[in-house]
Amino acid sequence: MKKNWHEFRDPIHVFIRVSTDERKIIDSRPFQRLRHIHQLAMTNLVYHGATHKRFEHSLGVMELASRIFDVITNLNNIHDVAREIIPPEPSELSYWRGVLRIAALCHDLGHLPFSHAAEYDLLPDGWNHEKFTVNLIKSDEMEKIWKEIRPIPSSDDIAQIAVGFDKSKLDDLERADWKTILSEIITGKAFGADRIDYLLRDSLHTGVAYGKFDHYRLIDTLRILPQSNDDSSELSLGVEDGGIHSVEALLLARYFMFKQLYFHHVRRIYDIHLKEFLKEWLPGGVFSTELEGHLKMTDNEVNSAILEATHNDSLSEHEPAKRIVERKHFKLLYEPNQRGLKSLKPGKIFSQKAKKELGENTIIYDSYSEKGTRTNFPVLTKSEKIRSFEEITRTLSMDKPLVANGEYVFVSPEKFEEAKKWRDKNLEQILASEEREGEE
Amino acid sequence: MKNLARKAVLLSLVENLRDRKSWCSETHIQKTVYFLQTLLRVPLGFDFILYKHGPYSFELSDEIMLMRTDSFIKLIPQQPYGPSLTSGDRGELLKNNFPKTIDKYKKQVKFIAEQLGDQKVSKLEKVATALYVTEERSKMSRTEMAQRIHKLKKHVSVAEGEEALKDVEKIKKAAKKLAS
Repeated sequence: MKKNWHEFRDPIHVFIRVSTDERKIIDSRPFQRLRHIHQLAMTNLVYHGATHKRFEHSLGVMELASRIFDVITNLNNIHDVAREIIPPEPSELSYWRGVLRIAALCHDLGHLPFSHAAEYDLLPDGWNHEKFTVNLIKSDEMEKIWKEIRPIPSSDDIAQIAVGFDKSKLDDLERADWKTILSEIITGKAFGADRIDYLLRDSLHTGVAYGKFDHYRLIDTLRILPQSNDDSSELSLGVEDGGIHSVEALLLARYFMFKQLYFHHVRRIYDIHLKEFLKEWLPGGVFSTELEGHLKMTDNEVNSAILEATHNDSLSEHEPAKRIVERKHFKLLYEPNQRGLKSLKPGKIFSQKAKKELGENTIIYDSYSEKGTRTNFPVLTKSEKIRSFEEITRTLSMDKPLVANGEYVFVSPEKFEEAKKWRDKNLEQILASEEREGEE
Repeated sequence: MKNLARKAVLLSLVENLRDRKSWCSETHIQKTVYFLQTLLRVPLGFDFILYKHGPYSFELSDEIMLMRTDSFIKLIPQQPYGPSLTSGDRGELLKNNFPKTIDKYKKQVKFIAEQLGDQKVSKLEKVATALYVTEERSKMSRTEMAQRIHKLKKHVSVAEGEEALKDVEKIKKAAKKLAS
């Protein structure tokens, strides 16, 4: 008997099953490329287990997105207000489930080498990994695959759901409410499948246990709900009352993972050295925006170039390459941790003074902030009322959301001892000054 | 506009909206910032898209979260609708750092708060969508624009779309006086 389903063993979801049609996507060149894109860039230089790739994450997102879809479209789970947007015909519902699974598989196709590490400074204006994702989904190479699948999925539908309406830049608003909900299943800023999978997977591979939470309970309690009791009819993903603790656990996990892992200071400085390397190494200092060039470029090509540059001091990219390979990265000199300071950006003021004293090229200033966290989703209470999560959570503070942000000031290792002495002598005075960052 | 200066203008908007007895939810901030940027050309630099219920900026939503994290603004419960935004513990510190910027856009912020501060969410969604369509399709007649609004937002009837367009015309007229 011909086999129509195939299994992938997975450390998070145990078995991930795909259809023969879906396997065509997985076997495609753009998807196979994800086997060579690290999920967490150079984090393995800090947490050695972090060698996992976008490939397995994409499979995991497809698995979770399907489970969420099945829960929220289950007849027993549909809120009255949501009934009008859910396609009534089983065949139509089945089409959208298929498109959702494909979109989940494809949502990271456009990632550059080392994922987010180099994305923001090394692409021309108006480009980001989502734009590459949309272009790949709509490429001739992938269109051929869509035509072999039954029913044939629309590449516009896939693109809108994979990256969201905001990033797809596609002006097709047909069934906008429904497609927005489907996109939220993948990219949702509170509890999308992307977020659930990467927290669990990154936690497992790095050994940072804070990333774990009860995702089974969370998914079982997800519902399509009106955003609030106000006069707007906006719908979004929310939870039933019984899922509140699992959402709180997810939000705490995310915060801890950002503080401990994603914004770890050594990880941040490796990203900076990687960018320094790429700016020198890439033609014109930016990545190619041609799809063929994109498909040929993975972490492997960049890693080979870094190793080569380490052994050739005549290359302009030699120094950042050496800092990465020989672990001669800049060291943390100052991280503001005091509240009540007169300055709004104490790290920036400190770095400006340090540059004057120790030399422009010996100091690196870095500020970071977590993007995309939403906590204002609806909760369906036991009395069938809609309340905002922020109003009813007892674990998290409504006053101050859990969003990781801060500043680092790094110094070259060659100047570290001198800089520490200067910092210890001058820090108090610098922080006490009323120096302001200029206005516009 | 520098990031902290932009936050100071947003805080000023929150305060002005509250002065006008606005509920001041995130939706109010989203739609009034869209008017500030699009109609009055205050260079806040947020990228807006036409989302489920009118123009929306994900970047602005992130900014609001970060302002809450830094205690420049805070959420307070407001039954029965949901939480609303108000000035936070470090709001004064932010304002004291950017007096010139706040003063530069004071007139525009006050104008938008007066025009839209007391509106309900559903009305704000309609007028903001109407402004979006007038910017996007300036050569269309009012009826054609109302049909476009209905096509984009099925829950807004053509008649409601026309009403929203009339409201936008009134606001535009008043804004011209402000500039002169």
